[in-house]
Amino acid sequence: MENSPSECPSRRFCVEPVHSRGGRAIPFYTQQTPPLFAVLAHGMACVAFWRIRTTELPFRTALSTVFCSDRELHMDAAHIRNFSIIAHIDHGKTTLSDRLLHRTGTVTTREMEDQLLDSMDLERERGITIKAHPVTMSYTARNGETYELNLIDTPGHVDFSYEVSRSLSACEGALLIIDAAQGVEAQTVANVHLATKQKLAIVPVINKIDLPHANIPATKAQMEDILAIPGDNAILASAKEGIGIDDILEAIVHRIPPPAPTGAVSMQALGFDSYFDTYKGVVTHVRVFNGELRPGMLVKLLHSGKTVEIKEVGSFNPKPYVREKLETGETGYMTANIKSPKDVKMGDTITDARNPSPVLPGFKEIHPMVFSGLYPINTADYEHLKAALGKLQLNDSAFVYQPESSVALGFGFRCGFLGLLHLEIVQERLRREYNMDIIATYPSVIYRVVMTDGKVKEIDNPAFLPEPNYIEKVEEPMVFSLVICPNEYIGDMMALIAEKRGVVDHTETLDPRRVMLTSTMPLGEILIDFHDRIKSITRGFGSMDYEHAGYQASDMVKLDMLVNGESVDAFSCIVHRSKAEGRGRALAAKLKEVIPRQQYQVAIQAAIGGKVVARESVSALRKDVTAKCYGGDISRKRKLLEKQKEGKKRMKSFGSVNIPQEAFIEVLKT
Amino acid sequence: MGDVVEEDVIRHLYVHVPFCARKCGYCAFYSEAGEGALVSRYVEALVRELELVAGDLRPRTVFFGGGTPSLLTLGQWERILKSMDRLGLLGAAEWTVECNPATVSPDKAKLLRDWGVNRVSMGAQSFDESLLERLGRVHSRAMIYKSFDVLRAAGFENVNVDLMFAIPGQTLETWRATLGEALALGSEHLSCYEVIYEEDTPLFEQWKGGMARVDEDLACAMYDELLGAAAAGGFQQYEVANFARHLAGGSAEVPDRACRHNVNCWRGGSFYGLGPSAAGYVRGARTRNRANTTLYCEELERGRRAIESSEELGPLARAGEIAAFGLRMTAGWPLEQFRQRTGFDLPGEWREEMRRMIALGYGELNGERFHLTREGLRFADWAGAEFLRS
Ligand SMILES: Nc1nc2c(ncn2[C@@H]2O[C@H](COP(=O)(O)OP(=O)(O)OP(=O)(O)O)[C@@H](O)[C@H]2O)c(=O)[nH]1
Ligand code: SF4
Ligand SMILES: [Mg+2]
Repeated sequence: MENSPSECPSRRFCVEPVHSRGGRAIPFYTQQTPPLFAVLAHGMACVAFWRIRTTELPFRTALSTVFCSDRELHMDAAHIRNFSIIAHIDHGKTTLSDRLLHRTGTVTTREMEDQLLDSMDLERERGITIKAHPVTMSYTARNGETYELNLIDTPGHVDFSYEVSRSLSACEGALLIIDAAQGVEAQTVANVHLATKQKLAIVPVINKIDLPHANIPATKAQMEDILAIPGDNAILASAKEGIGIDDILEAIVHRIPPPAPTGAVSMQALGFDSYFDTYKGVVTHVRVFNGELRPGMLVKLLHSGKTVEIKEVGSFNPKPYVREKLETGETGYMTANIKSPKDVKMGDTITDARNPSPVLPGFKEIHPMVFSGLYPINTADYEHLKAALGKLQLNDSAFVYQPESSVALGFGFRCGFLGLLHLEIVQERLRREYNMDIIATYPSVIYRVVMTDGKVKEIDNPAFLPEPNYIEKVEEPMVFSLVICPNEYIGDMMALIAEKRGVVDHTETLDPRRVMLTSTMPLGEILIDFHDRIKSITRGFGSMDYEHAGYQASDMVKLDMLVNGESVDAFSCIVHRSKAEGRGRALAAKLKEVIPRQQYQVAIQAAIGGKVVARESVSALRKDVTAKCYGGDISRKRKLLEKQKEGKKRMKSFGSVNIPQEAFIEVLKT
Repeated sequence: MGDVVEEDVIRHLYVHVPFCARKCGYCAFYSEAGEGALVSRYVEALVRELELVAGDLRPRTVFFGGGTPSLLTLGQWERILKSMDRLGLLGAAEWTVECNPATVSPDKAKLLRDWGVNRVSMGAQSFDESLLERLGRVHSRAMIYKSFDVLRAAGFENVNVDLMFAIPGQTLETWRATLGEALALGSEHLSCYEVIYEEDTPLFEQWKGGMARVDEDLACAMYDELLGAAAAGGFQQYEVANFARHLAGGSAEVPDRACRHNVNCWRGGSFYGLGPSAAGYVRGARTRNRANTTLYCEELERGRRAIESSEELGPLARAGEIAAFGLRMTAGWPLEQFRQRTGFDLPGEWREEMRRMIALGYGELNGERFHLTREGLRFADWAGAEFLRS
């Protein structure tokens, strides 16, 4: 990216954000021969801050303009574009974002690594995006104008679809990525719905055209048939090979409208995400809709009613860097004296405290859908777990927890998640980042129990399901699900939906090859393996998405798992009567597989209301010794024994049976 | 508690010879296919190391293990033996040298016997040709017989035969046949080791890849077969994997042909460990030499021992370790002997563990001795771990 002076005729000079760590900038390096530029730095660490290239304006004047008033550093709204990248999972959002960052010089080749925006280790390892990532880029278009592009990369997995909707609320447009080999999939449809609902300009991109089985005409046809987007609007690209990147940038500039001021009397901004920084406290991602947001301002958070003073504002590149202010249409972050993320409601409107403007539309609040108890393996770790959950929640507002206790597991926490992937991720982060050994109980949705006395209880823990004679009826949460699959698998798909107690409402032929099934299903049924099953039935060509659809009465019972006669409440679950026996058998079989052999035989039983419906047993261990020659190296052997003993300590004992942590994790997958 | 009377001089010596003709697929001991120059250099370094410890050593038992000690040439052995003579290290009541069947010549056997070696441990491992092949052994079944005859002819009256079981591909029948043939040899001692998948061995790689797995039930059945056959063949089990004849007649807690050197190890007695990678235990400190022959030699050429790590446990941890290993012997621990060795009272310190083992039928406290039962020996790792203290 070369902003040579001649490319910049209409502006007196251009600036590009480079890096920042806060504080006031001072000139650090200047080059006084063409092309003239300066690197400003600030603080002791001399971190590069702005790179300035001047055109006709004398260099020194430009420099002092930067100092005297930082106005020039900011784009007018007409030169700002805010957009999200949306797509079905794995269609290449993050890879394309990386390309855009690179192409605009936001990151240098040296800094470039794959999946740059997936900053968590876990994201990189799994190759999926979990959190939405905002980043600000500067782009000089073919018309010579320089634009500030605010991009938000979003996750594709359905558990995190609310990250998409809140990201969209900060944008005027969306880049819709479609994999040329996969075509339109369920989350493509769902995300397009979200974007159209918010009246965003959609720039379609057909990605991965480098793949040998890429089928561009078919993809275009699907766009027209399913999404009602003209196929010819699509930009052909390969994020991997760097094809079509310039066209995408131009389209962003020309097809996505600039932000329009709302016309309100004062500053209005939307808080759409937050994370916790040890030094700065809560960092709120904001989109300024009107006026300007600068440090020192007293602002009011309209929903929570709090008034706070802004400490710092800035943007991401992709690391956060400080700016003097955020203006109409810009996206960035703010910090204030906010201690807990709970104090900022996501979707809250931030406005001038002295002269408040009205509330912005915002977005629907997200509620956890799946609940599971998390317990420390070692009971002494309770406080440690509590602290760790608190810290995790700081950066994950969708995650909730509260203390609970279990007969089998002692003291722990009832935790709420968006879905199973979310649960798995929290577990994994606790393990990795906080070194916690934990056990998770079988996940549950929230059931609504209508009691015989007319009272209604919300139950997300099988332990609290009242005795059957007090129950008038149980209602379970439902979803509308959307499945897209090749024609030949429609029979198997319908059988799967029926097995999951779903009802197919609609079958729609999308094109000669594919159909879309809309159905109503219990949420509890799709949690565990619905997605995996679709993938395996359709050899990877099927996809699904869902949205919540209220409650419906259902015949639910409690299934207990007993180990050597003792009920292990961690394995209990609430299931539909028609499935209880099958589930009991599957759980018993899984437990048999994962409970290591002990010195005695271990009996495993599944029971409904005291009636045993399935049983298995783990035969007694026959030996725990190795007849081994260790040539006098007693130390080594002792260390092996110590390790073995340590491993046992990490198991949870139920009566006389030791159950390893893995058992709990494995059972979740049953 | 924890006070022990230390020995005046060390009475036991282990020497590691880190060379093998070829590396066996399951073996994690430190050894390499040494070429001539390195072997000679090693012999000189070893002599140097013997010199360094000789003042503190009057050996009652000596054990040359490996690796393959019998791979050393006659000349190299002579160099070592003469040095030991000069240093006053000859005359041990039990002096063992490990041999591989392919490496025992009549001259070598005679040389060793003449200098006072009186016990040979022969790594037969199996009598089944295809299993020998699979284990990567260099010898054949015929060589076992031949070597055994050579040893007897040289006057060795105390011979151990090493066997391995739970070898991938081994059936109960082949194991039974091997046991029969081994017993028919008429050795004084039998050691039977289970194949262990140790990291960094080719066998471990296969195991990780899902191959070479042996069913636990089969391994147990083989062990049962071993116990039955050894007893019927006149052997007395005295440790998890070790069996010996008792020639004096009558019965004894530990048979008289037991390997006294190993018994000393298991009972927590001191011993010097010399040579690359050798472990030693001297007055409460466990040491380990560098597991690299060149580095080992370099250190000794500078006149220092090549100790790579040394660990001294606190009194209770040391006692726990000694308890754990002693219990792998059928005789278990005479309470008084344990008290003398460690300064701790076994039932006093480990009351809870002992109670649990007795309740399970794994342990027995009769009179002045605590030992694991036949059933308990099957869980000796678990039991041992229970006795460890940090
Ligand atoms: N051949 C080819 N592969 C691509 C292209 N773009 C992305 N990929 C690959 O597709 C896979 C998924 O890419 P990501 O960028 O992680 O997809 P994503 O949409 O961000 O995925 P989620 O965040 O999990 O929803 C990776 O293996 C990429 O290397 C492309 O243009 N061509
Ligand atoms: S001969 Fe013995 S020490 Fe050498 S490699 Fe084989 S098993 Fe290991
Ligand atoms: Mg991604």
